[in-house]
Amino acid sequence: MRVIIFSWEFPPRIVGKLADYVKKLALQLAKNKIETCVVTYHDYLTGEFEEEGNVKTYRVTNPVKTHVSVLTWVLTLNQEVERAAANIYYKIGKHISLIDVHDWHFIPAAVTLKKALGIPFVYSIESLEDHRSHGADSPFNMAIKSIEWLGMYEADKVVVKSEWMSSEAMRIYKVPEAKIRVVKPESELWIKKILGIYGSVSGA
Amino acid sequence: MVPNNLRVMMLTWEFPPRIIGGISPHVYHLSKNLAEKGVKVYIVTCDFPGASPHETLDGGVEVFRVDSYKNPSPDFASWVYLMNMNMQKEAAAIVKNLGGVDIFHAHDWLVANASIGLKHVFRKPLLATIHSTEVGRRNGIHTDYERMIHETEAWLTYEAWRVICCSNYMVSHARWAFGLPEDKLVMVPNGVEAKEYERSNIDLHQFRRRFALPEEKIVLFVGRLVYEKGIHILIGAVPKILEKVNAKFVVVGNGYMKETLSEHVKRIGLAHKVLFTGFVDDETLRNLQKCANVSVVPSLFEPFGIVALEAMAAKSPVVVSDTGGLSEIVEHDVTGVKVYPNNPDSLAWGVTRVLLDEDYADRLRENAYRMVLEKFNWEKISQQTKNIYEKVLGEYSKTFWA
Repeated sequence: MRVIIFSWEFPPRIVGKLADYVKKLALQLAKNKIETCVVTYHDYLTGEFEEEGNVKTYRVTNPVKTHVSVLTWVLTLNQEVERAAANIYYKIGKHISLIDVHDWHFIPAAVTLKKALGIPFVYSIESLEDHRSHGADSPFNMAIKSIEWLGMYEADKVVVKSEWMSSEAMRIYKVPEAKIRVVKPESELWIKKILGIYGSVSGA
Repeated sequence: MVPNNLRVMMLTWEFPPRIIGGISPHVYHLSKNLAEKGVKVYIVTCDFPGASPHETLDGGVEVFRVDSYKNPSPDFASWVYLMNMNMQKEAAAIVKNLGGVDIFHAHDWLVANASIGLKHVFRKPLLATIHSTEVGRRNGIHTDYERMIHETEAWLTYEAWRVICCSNYMVSHARWAFGLPEDKLVMVPNGVEAKEYERSNIDLHQFRRRFALPEEKIVLFVGRLVYEKGIHILIGAVPKILEKVNAKFVVVGNGYMKETLSEHVKRIGLAHKVLFTGFVDDETLRNLQKCANVSVVPSLFEPFGIVALEAMAAKSPVVVSDTGGLSEIVEHDVTGVKVYPNNPDSLAWGVTRVLLDEDYADRLRENAYRMVLEKFNWEKISQQTKNIYEKVLGEYSKTFWA
C-alpha cells in the first residue's frame, strides 16, 4: 500500500499538536510496511526532500510570497502540493492507494487529485474552524468552513480523535455517522485501526 | 507528435453571456474560430444566471459553467482563489471523463491557480494569455493586496510554456513586469468581427435621436469608468470641444468614477451635453458606434485597445491617446488621430479636427476599416494561435512528460 500524507505542519515546523502526531503516524505506517510519503510546507528550516525511517518527506513552498490572510496563503500553496503529489504519482508507476489529509489546508489539492487521478482520500480532523474561531461567521471564517465542508463531502472516510469531535462533525457539517471513524491516538489499537481504515478505503 | 485532433481546454472567468471586460468576447471569438479550424475547444468558466451549466455552441465549442459563488469570501482576490478551487475540481473531473486534453490555455491571473494545478496533475502544457497586469492597472504596486495579485500573475507566467500578449507593447510590458525571457513571449493581436457591424435592421437616424439632437455631433466613449481608461481626460476636454463644435458626449459603461464625473459635469453646467448611459446591450452598442461622428479612447494604460478596433469596424473615426496597444493600432493621420495621453487640450484638438473636417474623417474611416479587415480578423488570429499550440506540442513531445 502506498500512502501520501498531507499536513501543513510537520517537524521541525511545529505550529500546534498536529506536527508531532503526523510524524508519529508516518513512522508507524512505514514500520507496518506501508510506503509512506509526506507532503508538507517548507519554510527555510528544512530542505525540499528528506528520508527518515523509510518515510519520504517532500516540502513545498508558496510561489506567491505576499498575502492578505492565511486563506489566500493556503489557496495558492495547494497547487504546489498538487505538483508534489503528482510528481510522486507519475514517478512510482501511477499508483497511490490513498491520501490522508490532516485538517482543511490541503483539502483543495486532495479533491483535485481525487477527481483527476482517481486517488481516494481520508480527511483526518485535528480541529475545526467552528471551535478555533468560537463560532465566528465572518466571510473569512465561512470560507474556511466551506473548505472543511468540501473535505467532509468528498472524503471516503472522516477520521476523528474523539467521540466529541465525531458528534461535532455531525452537528456542524451533517456528516453521516457511517462515514466517520473515531480513532483515539492514545489507544493501543490506534495504528491497527488506522490501517484498517486505509485498507477499506483503498480496497486492499 | 502533434495530434490530428487537437483538444484544448480554455479557462476563463468570463464567457458570454457573462461579460465583464474584454476577455469574454476575446475567448468567444478565438474559440469559435479555432473550432472552425478543427480544434476541439472546451471552455471552463464561471456560471451565470440563466446560462446552461453545459452546452455545445454552433460550431462545436463546448462550454462548462461551474458554480462560482458558493463560497463566502472576504474580498475579491479571496473570491478568485476560492472560485479557482471549484473550477479546478470541476475541470479535473471533466478532463478525466473526456479521457484527456492536449493543452490548457488560461486567460489572466483570474484562473491562474486552477490552470497551474491542472497542468501538473495531468502533465500537459499550459499556455497563458496576459490581457492586462496589476502593475499596469494600478500604475504601480502599492499594497500587499496588489502585490499578491502581481505575484499570482508572475506565477502564472512562470508556469506557462508560452505567454501570449495582444500587442508589442504588452510583450515588452510583461517582460519587464515579470522578468520573462524573450523567447517565452509571443504576440498575437486581438481581433474584431467586422461582420457583426454589417447587418442592421433599424433606422439609424431614428436610433440616433435617442441620444442626441440632430444638430449635435456624437462623441462616443466606451469603457469602464475607471482611472486607467482616462474618461476624466475626456470630461476635461468637453468645454474646449464645445467652444468649436456643437456635440453630445455619450459615455457608455460603468465604474467607480461615474458619480464623481456626473457631479462634475452638473457643476460646470454641461449636464445636458454629456449622457451617461451605463452598460448597454451589444446591439445598442454597435448601433451607437455606427452613429458616432468620432470615437474617443483616452486611456492612460491600455494593453491593447479593442474598443478602438470595434469603432473602426463600425466605420467610426477614432481619436486615441498615443499609449500602449493604441499606439500600434492607429497610424496617425492615416487610420485615426493620436493625441498626447493625459492631456485634455491635445484630446480636444484631435476631436475637433475630426469633427470639423468631414473629408478627413471619411478618409480615416475608410483606411481604418480596410486595416481591420486585413490585420485584425479572427480567422487569421486563430490560425496564429493554432500554430502556437502545434509548436508547443512539438516541444512538449520531446520532454519526459510526454
